[in-house]
Amino acid sequence: MWTRWSDVDRMFNAMDLLQHRINRMYGDYGRLHGGRNEWEVTQSTPRTNLYDAGDHLSMKIEVPGMIKENLNIKVQGNYLEISGVRKSDEPEGYSAHRVERGTASFTRSFTLPTDIDTAKVEAKLANGLLTLTMPKQEAAKPKQIEIN
Amino acid sequence: MNERAEVATREESSLERSHDIPHIAPLVDIYENKDEILLHVDMPGVDKKDITVNIDNGKLYLSGIRKIEAIGSVQWEEFGNLEYMRTFSVPQTIDSAKVNAELKDGVLRLHLPKSEAAKPRQIEIKSD
Repeated sequence: MWTRWSDVDRMFNAMDLLQHRINRMYGDYGRLHGGRNEWEVTQSTPRTNLYDAGDHLSMKIEVPGMIKENLNIKVQGNYLEISGVRKSDEPEGYSAHRVERGTASFTRSFTLPTDIDTAKVEAKLANGLLTLTMPKQEAAKPKQIEIN
Repeated sequence: MNERAEVATREESSLERSHDIPHIAPLVDIYENKDEILLHVDMPGVDKKDITVNIDNGKLYLSGIRKIEAIGSVQWEEFGNLEYMRTFSVPQTIDSAKVNAELKDGVLRLHLPKSEAAKPRQIEIKSD
């Protein structure tokens, strides 16, 4: 009988531990790619995060090993499309023992929660993460209302 | 034996609160030529200073911690903070002193040079 919250906590920790073990096991077969949902398997499109910072939207996209020449970003109103090609970076003169990192092209499109100022969108690529900063249209920005 | 008494004497200090970040095995390509073994590891979003590579007793331990900072409120989140972890067995023929790594575009390239003794050698046949 669990009389304390710590016992329940402990049980969940044990389950977490098992989950991690299984993850590591699958990882050894090169199946699992990771992510928030640890049970999910490799996706063919890159994962994204979207943040709302008041006057602008910010998106982060996982694009390991991609260079900016191979990435395309299109915006229109509240529509955003990201496409890219991941080319093989197999070095010459080497024999491959194991190739888990796929080479593929992808396209992913989004409907953003607000219209954005397409002229002021900025994109930055660092450490395999693409960060888009998308200022909102004036009408969509939050307004401070002063009390008279 | 009273179960209730057992619960009462349990020590609070043994509380295993390990709300740590998930551990994920990164995707890896392994190449080899006559001079070295080369690893390409996908680690998007990991900073150079958060990567550790340890070679100990024939094992290569690879770890990279990723911290994603949220800007404002989260609308959706498909990836987050995690630790990329993977262990490999490396042959004894690797010269661990000369191992070097570079990080570019979220891909770690790890060069494991073979020691001189392990390199293939052409044997010349001498004629009388």
